[in-house]
Amino acid sequence: MALLEVEDLCIDYKTKSGYLKAVDGVSFTLEKGESLGFVGESGCGKTTIGLGLMGMLPPNGVVRKGRILFEGEDLLRMSAEEMRQVRWRKIAMIFQAAMNALNPVQRVGEQVAEAMLVHNPSLGKHKALKAVEELFELVGLQTDRIRDYPHQYSGGMKQRAIIAMALACRPALIIADEPTTALDVIVQDQILAEIRALQKEFNIGIIFISHDISIVADMCHDIGIMYAGQLVEYGPREDVFDSPAHPYTRALLSSFPTLTGKKTDLVPIAGETPDLVHPPKGCRFYDRCPEQIPLCREKVSQWVALSPRHKALCCRCEMDGR
Amino acid sequence: MMENRGNAIIEIQNVSKVYRSRGALFGLRAKDVVALRQVSLKIYKGEIFGLVGESGSGKTTVGRLIVGLEEITSGDIFLDQENVTGLKGKAMKAFRRKVQMIFQDPYQSLNPQRSVLDTVTEPLAIHRIGRSSDRKEMVHKALKAVGLSPPEIFFYRYPHRLSGGQRQRVAIARAMVLNPEFVIADEPTSMLDASISAQIFNILLKMRGTFDVTQMFITHSLAAARYLCDRVAVIYRGKVMEVGSGETIIHNPKHPYTQALIDALPKFRSSGAIQRYGTLLTEERQVDLEQVGCPFYPRCAVADETRCGRETPELILLDEGHYVACFQL
Repeated sequence: MALLEVEDLCIDYKTKSGYLKAVDGVSFTLEKGESLGFVGESGCGKTTIGLGLMGMLPPNGVVRKGRILFEGEDLLRMSAEEMRQVRWRKIAMIFQAAMNALNPVQRVGEQVAEAMLVHNPSLGKHKALKAVEELFELVGLQTDRIRDYPHQYSGGMKQRAIIAMALACRPALIIADEPTTALDVIVQDQILAEIRALQKEFNIGIIFISHDISIVADMCHDIGIMYAGQLVEYGPREDVFDSPAHPYTRALLSSFPTLTGKKTDLVPIAGETPDLVHPPKGCRFYDRCPEQIPLCREKVSQWVALSPRHKALCCRCEMDGR
Repeated sequence: MMENRGNAIIEIQNVSKVYRSRGALFGLRAKDVVALRQVSLKIYKGEIFGLVGESGSGKTTVGRLIVGLEEITSGDIFLDQENVTGLKGKAMKAFRRKVQMIFQDPYQSLNPQRSVLDTVTEPLAIHRIGRSSDRKEMVHKALKAVGLSPPEIFFYRYPHRLSGGQRQRVAIARAMVLNPEFVIADEPTSMLDASISAQIFNILLKMRGTFDVTQMFITHSLAAARYLCDRVAVIYRGKVMEVGSGETIIHNPKHPYTQALIDALPKFRSSGAIQRYGTLLTEERQVDLEQVGCPFYPRCAVADETRCGRETPELILLDEGHYVACFQL
């Protein structure tokens, strides 16, 4: 049984001008101990997926349809109380810029212990603090800093503390939403290495959300490329990056500056993302697609299997059989 | 750097910047924050010069000091061989016509109550350039140059109706409309998505051609610097560590810090082919605050205490156009 199986997930946000289709028909599976990365630009729905999985959508967010099977149980059918049992204990999330969410007037160690005690009150404060010590060692923080306050920590250390907090209940799945965005390259590298090691050690499934292709490529077995609320390409990272099929994936890759190759290769994607309150009937990338044909505007794009595990949502791919 | 490669349009000499804190409440000892230490750089006419550094390295401070948004603690800045340090009043105004800045966050740098036309016209009005009828024409040209076309449809739009990429283009047009000699772009794409960033990069490259403008591009991304810049300076904790062509810095870095930066880059597609140095970083060494030394000394694995911990290395010429500040070469 897969750790996580998401089927046809649709999430809307209620806005003044109507329902905004932030996530539309997203399906994927994640095995135990594997990692899956979602890449896309702002507003593509990647963070919404994370919040949806945690059952933490903002008040105007509604799951319109779909199933989220976690260890075989549908999270969407759970009561609030049942969901509370799953959240953090089994599925934890590292939020974007979470390091700024640490309480400035509480010692870091106590905050990590608190995360543990909330979900496991019988543990007792003394034991919890003992466990925090282990967690600190795990994430590479010195244990003599447990009694420090957040302002005494550097950005990287705070982020490590947040990771410790996510690990506090030994979850089976961690959702990491841009966990290193606010950090410097060298610190980022260290944190990513840490996450990779912990994942291996505890066999944790990880969903990695980022706009930075290079990080996701470095971290994840499988990659999902998202555009305007839809998954548009999905597969093992080698397939997606070495033989990208969807025009958006290709455009995204060629707009990203790299350290090698010809300098003149950077090609921006013209235009803007479509309005998701009234999404286009056909392909959502139609307006910006360099390979558009009239059919794409009318026809709802279908998934095309390119190899057993690599697929793309594109009319052209379907026609060309690539 | 005393090398003669045509005229330096901007030269900064031994520039330092110290932020003084007035001391905490209850009279605790005041701490000075040294943002820049004795930085010297020359930027030549027509080039795009990249300043690469991590957050807190002082890269933005360099830009702000050049345009005069902050006061210099010591050192001099020259524009076309003329000392422009600490200009005031009229002289400052004349200077600002020639030197412009594009800021990081277009969501904050544009006045939400001004239309695009007003925003881009304002510098012209301040500097009394052209009659009002000409100004519209000039704005039209500037907007077109940054790819906001047809410009007329953007004239009366307000920032809230523009996307991030469009806003940043307006900010670029506002800087370019004065036809400046030198423009500083401070992380102009850090708030934008990859596909939009590429548009902004291409506009900056085009600006060099159409407006013949020299640029300084401040960024934390080596890949972006390589794409845009002719020469790159790597800055760390307020000190320039290495200067060279983009290719040199990426494929032949000599400073342990630059090597550590390259090592830390995610291994992605072709960047996997980049040589890695396996630079070791040590646990942060404790240093005496009074003691000056190499800024990278606390973390450098190859440093020796007797020298690196006590003296500050100066940039030395290693190879043509390649300068490194390190004792351990």
